[in-house]
Parts: sequence; C-alpha cells; structure tokens
Amino acid sequence: MKRRVLLAFVTFSLAIFAVCVGQAKSPKDQNAPPAKSSKPAPSEGEKRFRTNCGRCHNPPEDISPREARAVVRQMRVRAMLSAEDEKLILAYLAP
Amino acid sequence: MFRLLALFIAGSSFICAQENVPILSGGAGFLGASKGGVNSFQPVIAPVLTIPLGDKWLIESRADLRGFVSRENGTTGPYQGQFFGTLEYLQLDYNANSHVTITLGRFLTPFGLYTERLSPIWISKFQDAPLITPIGTGQAYNNGFMLRGALLSNSSYAINYAAYFSTLSTVENLGSQRGAGGRVGLFLPGARLEIGTSYRRTLQDSHSNSVGMDFSWSPYSVPLELKGEWAHSPNGYGYWIQAAYRLSQFGGDGSALGRLEPVFRMQQFVRSELVAGDSLPAHDARLPEFGLNYYLPHEVRLNASYGRAYFSQSTDVNVWEFGITYRFLFPLWPGGAR
Repeated sequence: MKRRVLLAFVTFSLAIFAVCVGQAKSPKDQNAPPAKSSKPAPSEGEKRFRTNCGRCHNPPEDISPREARAVVRQMRVRAMLSAEDEKLILAYLAP
Repeated sequence: MFRLLALFIAGSSFICAQENVPILSGGAGFLGASKGGVNSFQPVIAPVLTIPLGDKWLIESRADLRGFVSRENGTTGPYQGQFFGTLEYLQLDYNANSHVTITLGRFLTPFGLYTERLSPIWISKFQDAPLITPIGTGQAYNNGFMLRGALLSNSSYAINYAAYFSTLSTVENLGSQRGAGGRVGLFLPGARLEIGTSYRRTLQDSHSNSVGMDFSWSPYSVPLELKGEWAHSPNGYGYWIQAAYRLSQFGGDGSALGRLEPVFRMQQFVRSELVAGDSLPAHDARLPEFGLNYYLPHEVRLNASYGRAYFSQSTDVNVWEFGITYRFLFPLWPGGAR
C-alpha cells in the first residue's frame, strides 16, 4: 500500500514539475508539423490539429494533399471531429 | 462475395475522382520481450486501409499480422514460431451530418481510451495493452452498428459520443459478442483535457454490466501527456495511469535530446470472480513500468521499458521489453499532386 501511494505521489510530482518547467519556457511548437511551426501565429486549422490530433499521436512527417484528405476523413470518424474541425484541419494539412 | 465487394470498392473509388484516393497506412515493427526469463520476439505489421467514397462514405479497415517466436518450453528448447492474423476492424462509415456518423461492420469497441485511440503499435507508449483492457471491450472488436460523432462542439467545450449494438458471431477470426454500450466524453479544448465515461451491457451468457471512466490531459505549455482509465466488471476491476514527457524543450522536437520521451505507467487489477477465457489476469496483479521512447526521423521509433509485475498468488517477475516501430502511409495508386 505504501509503495502504491509512493508511486502515485512520484507520478503526480513529476507531472506538476513538468507543468511548472513548461510554463517558465512556454514553447510554441509542440505537436505542430516542423515545417509549419515557424509561423508567427498559428492558423485556426493548426490550433484544431494541436487540440484534437496531437493528443494521441505526432503529426505525419510528410503528407501530400490527397493523402491528407483521406486521413482527415478517417480521423473525423476515429476522433469524432465535427465537420468544421475536419474542414479546418484539412485546410491546414493540405493548403 | 469478396470479389464483388472488391469490384465495388475499386469501381466506386475510380468514379470518385483523384481527390478521394485510397491510402494504405499503418505500422510495422519488431518487438522483443523477456517476462520472467521467458523470451519472445514478434515481427508485426498492422496495415490500415482507408477508402473514401464520395463526400459521405468511407471504408476503413485494420488488420494485425504478427509472428510469435519463443522457446518451445518457455526458457529451454529450440525457438519456434506461430503466426496470428486478426482483422481488427472493417467498417463502412456514413457521415450523415456534422454530428452523426453511422458505422456498420466490424469495429473497435468504444470503451475507455485505449482500444480505440491508443492501441496502434505506432501510437502506444508501451508494447502491452493495460491489464484492464478486456473489461467492457470483450475481445476488443465487435460486429454490429454504431452511431458516433461530436454532439456539441464549440471553442469552450465539446461533447463526443459513441453508441453501438453488437451481435453474436462465432465465426473464426470474426468473433463478436452480443451487447450494447457506448462512451460519452467531455473535452475542454482550452485545457486539452478530456473526461469520459463508458458502459457496456453484455447481452449473452451472464448479462453483465461493465462501466469505466477515463481521462486524458495534454497541457499546451509542456509536452506532457497524462492518461488514465478505471474500469469495473463483475469479473474484476482496476486502473492504469500513464505519464509521457517528450523532452522537446531541450532544443526542439528534432534535437538529439528532444527526440527522447520517458514514459511511466502504473496499473493494477483486482480479481473479483474467476472466469475462464476473459483475458484478464487470473489473480490480483500490479505492474509499475518505466520506459524510454526515442523518435527517429522518417517515422521510426525505438522503445524500451522495464516493469515489475506483482502477482498475489504467484512469483513476481521482471518484464523487459524493447522494439522498433515504423509508421507508413502512401496512396494506393499514383497520380495527383504531392
């Protein structure tokens, strides 16, 4: 029992530490495709991508517009995206 | 029958012009493990086929093809291999409107987080599924129909749902249990926090209920992911909680250190009633695990982990795992702009 409590404590301590470190540095390029992370202000599509898709997986490194169309169609079902999310994310991945 | 289906798919896709090109994606990997001194190796390929048909229809499928190589008597004897092929889903989706997608066929059971979202080998942080994964999912795959989508969605919150009915099937490799259930999730985009609850009523044999709760939190300020699930069934209950921290703050995602991701998972299962064949641990178990993932360029990932499995009625064992996975994606026929 003590060991479990200790493990839970360590996990949450690490999480809190990580959040504190992150707030101090505030990087802006997490979960964004590397080629598009240098934009001064993220587009609405990029925001939706980070918000929805980036929670489970990294972005694909190289994806063509027609591949993106099929992927986003599939992810609309898998990730239960709204039609608006689908449209904006597609515009971001396949401009 | 299958020839007709293949002809229909091919014909429909050609009709639907270039922008609806089918794609083949998925993951391939080589996984190794040592559990209590028993070594095993698994070459795996998990292809995902996606075929858009017009603006509303989609066919999608995923299979898991893997070999399992281990010693004949566990720790002694010559190595021998077996092959396993699993059709995980093959479904037809119809996007009725912005809030409803109708799914028909074989699908991943929407219960908790892991089965639907985290099970692909190129996504999961650890090789093995959490101990409680069979709770509420049956065999993880079921045949039937499902409604799913985003019930409400705005900049402050989103409510997503999945509701299904599955039928009994004893066909080899296409097994399914009769049941009904679903999951409802509340997602707060501002915090990237999602809380979900799941339910399944098995409508055969014991007619039992399974319930679950899950959460997922990925703050914007740090590359941290916290996820967890709790699930309960008459056979037992348990939880898992997982933390993953990508060190991308040290030079960015592409730096040598920024490609590293330490991960930690704690899980526990408590057996209430021993039921043969339910895929859950036979007795109470605890399993803390620590791992390191390393994201190489070109969608290649290395992973290694160590865990210590504590069993209430058998010897505790060390669990070492390592692997390499590759995520691929390409169109099924050439043409069009890249």
